[in-house]
Amino acid sequence: MYWDTPMKRTTTDHDSEGIGRRQLLSAVGGSAVAAALAGCSTLLSDGEAADQGGQSGGEISDEPIQAGLLTFTRGAPGVLGIQAQRGAELAVQRINEAGGIGGQREIELDVVNEGSNPLDSYNQFIEEGKEVTFGPISSGTHSQIAPEVEKNEVINVSTDGTVTTLYEETVPDPTYSFRFQNYDIMEVVTMAREAVERIGADNISTVAGVNPGYSFGEDEMRVFTQAIQKLTGAEVVYEGFPELGASDMANHITSINNEEPDVTFSSLWGGDVTTFVRQANANNMFENTTVFGTTLYSAAGDVPGDALAGTDIYSGSRNYYWGLPALGNWQPGRELFDAATQQEGVTVPTAHYMSGYGAVTAWATAVEKAIDLLGTYPSQEQIAQVLEGHGFFTPAGYHNIAEDHQGASNSFAGKMVYDDDLGAARLEDVNTYAATETAPPPGVTGSDWLDSWSA
Amino acid sequence: MAVTPTAALVQTLNGIQFGFILFMIASGLTVILGILDVLNLAHGELFSLGAYTAIGVFGFIIGIIGPPGDGVVGTAVFILAVLAAVLVTAAILLPVGTLFEAVFLRQIYDRDQVYQLVLTFTLLLILLDVKKFIWGDSSIRTDAVYSAINAIPTSELVGLNYPTYNVFVILVGSAVVAGLFWFFERTKTGRIIRATAIDREMATAIGVSTDRVFTLVFALGAFLAGFAGAMAVPPTSATLEMGTNPLVLSFVVIVIGGLGSLRGAFVGALLVGVIRSWMITLYPPGEIAAPFAIMALILLVKPEGLFGTWGETA
Repeated sequence: MYWDTPMKRTTTDHDSEGIGRRQLLSAVGGSAVAAALAGCSTLLSDGEAADQGGQSGGEISDEPIQAGLLTFTRGAPGVLGIQAQRGAELAVQRINEAGGIGGQREIELDVVNEGSNPLDSYNQFIEEGKEVTFGPISSGTHSQIAPEVEKNEVINVSTDGTVTTLYEETVPDPTYSFRFQNYDIMEVVTMAREAVERIGADNISTVAGVNPGYSFGEDEMRVFTQAIQKLTGAEVVYEGFPELGASDMANHITSINNEEPDVTFSSLWGGDVTTFVRQANANNMFENTTVFGTTLYSAAGDVPGDALAGTDIYSGSRNYYWGLPALGNWQPGRELFDAATQQEGVTVPTAHYMSGYGAVTAWATAVEKAIDLLGTYPSQEQIAQVLEGHGFFTPAGYHNIAEDHQGASNSFAGKMVYDDDLGAARLEDVNTYAATETAPPPGVTGSDWLDSWSA
Repeated sequence: MAVTPTAALVQTLNGIQFGFILFMIASGLTVILGILDVLNLAHGELFSLGAYTAIGVFGFIIGIIGPPGDGVVGTAVFILAVLAAVLVTAAILLPVGTLFEAVFLRQIYDRDQVYQLVLTFTLLLILLDVKKFIWGDSSIRTDAVYSAINAIPTSELVGLNYPTYNVFVILVGSAVVAGLFWFFERTKTGRIIRATAIDREMATAIGVSTDRVFTLVFALGAFLAGFAGAMAVPPTSATLEMGTNPLVLSFVVIVIGGLGSLRGAFVGALLVGVIRSWMITLYPPGEIAAPFAIMALILLVKPEGLFGTWGETA
């Protein structure tokens, strides 16, 4: 099995002696924390990791950093939220094992359910004196807390909350609010391009959509319509918006069977994917359309094999797919996969796992960089300044937080199939899309960017 | 959007199927309301508890008999096993309902209705935590039933593309409707329950134990909620929040049909199911609003609901 392939070392004996600590550390961001978060700590010799936290010069207290993570820890959204939680926990564990931030300060992560009063939970974090907050998952929650983040002047690096308009309208000039994960327009444009790549623009004349009945689903369908119409000139023949956690999607499926669109777009996620795929398969929907979805793979560990049999589904996987590069050729990915699958509730790490892992990594590597520059522990404002334009590395690859505070990374998409050996779904024949193909240039809104495409 | 006759038929069947699930939930709610005069806010959680319990019961019973065998006999045995699992699940809810009524509700019948609302809401929260304690935070599902029943050809025989499981729900739902009306119209116990609902004091005067009747009715409500949960869960998953929407829609159904009217619950459930189905077909954004729009209309033109309250007939 490909994930059991003996790990091929990416370094030679010469590397471990020749590159050595300094070059490796320099390559991944200058500290053992950065190396650990990049998944490269094992390339350091024994004992080096813990000795090389940062270059604090002893001016940093050893008081633990209190951090808060707002995520869904239960119910249907927990399928995503628990992944983000486990990712964040692994990142924190790696930081602490590498000696803590600046070689002195370990992180204590407080995880709170996003639930029905997320703003209260966020404010509680601030009242408790958290030095940094991570999360949320929901776009609605993010729109609520982002203005508060700016008022409180305490850095927040969101795991998700990927609504396109956040930094265009809600908080157009942010200072303390950052977002790690690729946002809606990136994942939607990825899937529009993927549809054209797989089927061909000439073969797409009609599209339909089944998306969650709230702002995220409506936002995704709107962007997909704009993108696919520019790429193919296709007509939208059906748009359905089942409410979250809907137990019955038969009506939407029958409408799609009635229209037989060339492409059906979906941003359903978590348990809703399982319900949709099972009921669509039972109604023979995949004989009539090909499904392209942004977050369908979020149900990788939930969707049963018989439901995926005979389906025609392509899913995005935001900025991380565990199988690319192949684990046998990619030690950081291999170590992350092995560590993740040993955590409770993680069958396979999905993009939301990286949302948690990457949000913590973005902040931690920025703080390490600031310590390196200042020689002391930085203020919130200084961390924010370093985060703008900050580049860093995770086992998913290279990431950049742009000046508009939005993370930009490669996107992944492939055919969703069930893997009996894995006991979960995987993506087959995965395509990678660069951020320049999926995100507008800085300072341009998503809608204006799509409008500017030549037909 | 042009709708083909086949699609129109399938959408109507989708609505009827959804309506039967709604009726199975709402019937318990309306019977309790009609006879005990209690609006049971925990009813959705009883439905959810039935769904969670059913997953274990399906696994146990189908684990014993295995997947459907070849031929008519093998198929019949499998379907009977599924039905048995649904009934066992519903039966497990009987003592839960009995306990709720005898230990909690009985103490506050004489008090203002707001106490009943607070108490049943408390029971809702307790059930939520019980589910979390037993089954955890994550959703769970059964894979043993839905695909296996869908593999049995039914609608294909008449050239229709319609899942057999949905046909199964419609048939079982019809049997539940017939059974309930037979129980309340034809059996002695049913008539005693109706008599108690019509005039509690008179029923007591002629020797009916209202305590027993109330316990029986609440247990019956829990049985129906559990039955509905078991029937509803195979195509989807059991989640902690799954009781909320059915509770709200059940309220809509019984307001449309008439508070406490079984006949009204049946008509209301089918009305909501089919109209919602057609709304999704013709104007998808109206999916959530459609049932509430029907309710608002009924409240304006016939505030007592289509069939009034529980009375001479079920």
